[in-house]
Amino acid sequence: MIYLGRGAAEKAPLIKEHIAKHDIKRVFILGHPFHRIDIDDAEFIEYNELIEYRTFYRLLQEIDQRTLVVLNECLRNQNRYDLTFNCIRHFLRQTTHHLIFQYLPIIEQPSDFMTLFDWDTQSRWKPVQLADAPLHEATVDCRRIDLELRPVAITTDDRTKTAYQVEKRRLIDNIGLRDPHTIPRNLYLLSGKAKLAWAQSANGSLFDESRWFVGRNDRFKLPTMQTYRAGTYDHTPYTVFELPHNFLEFIDFLALSGQTAMDVLVADLKVDAWYWQRYQEWRNRLAEIYAQIS
Amino acid sequence: MQKYTHKYLEETVVDAARRRVAFVFDHFETIHVSISGGKDSSVLAHLAILEAQKRGRKVGLFFLDEEAMYQSTIEMVEYWMAFAPESINRLWMQIPFSLTSATSYQDSQLLCWEPGKRKEWMRQKSENNIRQKPWAEADEKLTSGYKWLDFYGAITNYERCYKGAAFLLGERAQESPNRRYSVTKHPVTIGGQKIFWGTPRGDNFTLKPIYDWQFSDVWKYHHDNGIKHSRIYDYQFLKGYNINEVRISSLIHERSFKSLCDLPEFEPKTFEKLCKRIKGVSFVQETGKAAKLFRASKLPKNFTSWIAYRDFLLETYPLPDRRPIFEKRFSKHLSNEYVARQQCRQLICNDYENNLPIDNKPDPRQELIRYYEEQL
Repeated sequence: MIYLGRGAAEKAPLIKEHIAKHDIKRVFILGHPFHRIDIDDAEFIEYNELIEYRTFYRLLQEIDQRTLVVLNECLRNQNRYDLTFNCIRHFLRQTTHHLIFQYLPIIEQPSDFMTLFDWDTQSRWKPVQLADAPLHEATVDCRRIDLELRPVAITTDDRTKTAYQVEKRRLIDNIGLRDPHTIPRNLYLLSGKAKLAWAQSANGSLFDESRWFVGRNDRFKLPTMQTYRAGTYDHTPYTVFELPHNFLEFIDFLALSGQTAMDVLVADLKVDAWYWQRYQEWRNRLAEIYAQIS
Repeated sequence: MQKYTHKYLEETVVDAARRRVAFVFDHFETIHVSISGGKDSSVLAHLAILEAQKRGRKVGLFFLDEEAMYQSTIEMVEYWMAFAPESINRLWMQIPFSLTSATSYQDSQLLCWEPGKRKEWMRQKSENNIRQKPWAEADEKLTSGYKWLDFYGAITNYERCYKGAAFLLGERAQESPNRRYSVTKHPVTIGGQKIFWGTPRGDNFTLKPIYDWQFSDVWKYHHDNGIKHSRIYDYQFLKGYNINEVRISSLIHERSFKSLCDLPEFEPKTFEKLCKRIKGVSFVQETGKAAKLFRASKLPKNFTSWIAYRDFLLETYPLPDRRPIFEKRFSKHLSNEYVARQQCRQLICNDYENNLPIDNKPDPRQELIRYYEEQL
């Protein structure tokens, strides 16, 4: 069974219900350390540990028909045939009892859903692509997450715009052997400086004690800003200071905070427009997969 | 639209393998199982020996001794040769042949069991083994492109000593897409049946009865049947190797020299002997896992491009007679950073045989940089 869109607090009761109903003797919860579920007597196995020989073979040996395997936010890679995913396939072949919790059905592309589909269907359709897959074969409890991203327009001065062009040229000319994705990433950091200046000025006055932000890193040392790697978000609603390059980080933030509507600072620089557009397209793809599975 | 259907068979892989081995015994007089001391060939040897015992026949256990091997591998081969002597033909071959060594530019080939260098051998030959080539020198066939007998050449010549024999291999399709392809690409017809787990090979047949086993099936079989396995697996397990790394392979080949890194810990005596036998072993042991060095994943800081680094490596390549091999090969490649990095890897690993093939395509980074230049 695939549960989409469930918050942390909702997972434990579902697991307990399954345990009671099916006389389960043992529970393994596989997942990233950010995402924890408190269940007595359940063993938590870290996602990164799954491919280790010491873990893989132990689990193969210990998972049987009276074992429940819980995959908690395990969709962490877009490669459907990734080694970790293949290990998970093996675990799931040992038992018919599994619960798959995933906040959003994809990371970036609709085809990402096929990983979840494989897990729920004992990988019977492993070579089949999304367009041809019999999606009705998976049991999906879909709570749709409709994201509302509200742009907060930020105007930058000419000096910032000139500095942006200079920095862009410098990054491209000196890219050397570095990852090309550093170009938008670094330009977005420059944009962050402009946002900070704007927000701290009289125009914005956004940085009051009551408003919390989420940003890429802690470079501004602001007491009210958390990063996408914080792991816990206790000050909702957050304003998105800048969007992460990696969608997985944003998904973790959404799952952990439970926030579905948020303000996003968008400066009048091309990199901001590019990121904004990128996330709009991502939302469209999300809608597309929801339409297919519901 | 439904394109594929999956159907689970009633038969387990063990039953299927037993059935296939029985089929081989039904149709062949001469049956040889290639063993390596590893987990897969051990399963196959066990299945074949049991079938031979059942029929009061014999099966040949063939082992081509590479000399530079784990002691645990040698012990495993001894174990199998002694497993059921009445049902086994001992075909342990210790003959001179060359083996690619990635540990040294100067000694890029190890001539195993080199005549006249008996004192340098890792261990001495056993009088129970085949110590001379069982074929006539005049009939010897070399692998295409080689001037000397190599590993595969030795196997080919050995197989040519037979006609109508079945050579059983413990290859499994799961190991890699290449393996999967090699297992199933040339099905053969035996006794009127089309066999997808076999291929014709000269006058003989290569058959792979456990081709559809998963690695967990292999270990389950070991456990269920109480057969021994190399203790190297236990060491690797304890060290937390991931499942792709857990294997017993050659110690010095360019694809597997990383096994040298943990050798002093696993088998200190073997490591000591290997250091005396082959140049460069100690250096590779210390540096073999350094991705920056052998995988060419990071450009040395004094170079501004992979192309410049490749040119430097070519210029300073220590074996003048081999340099043209690389120059000729690289001249057919595209000139970009993506390709040049792979060429550096070949040069660093002294891969003049082209065992680490190069993905010769336009640099994907350039396209992305152009996109960002337009969009941002």
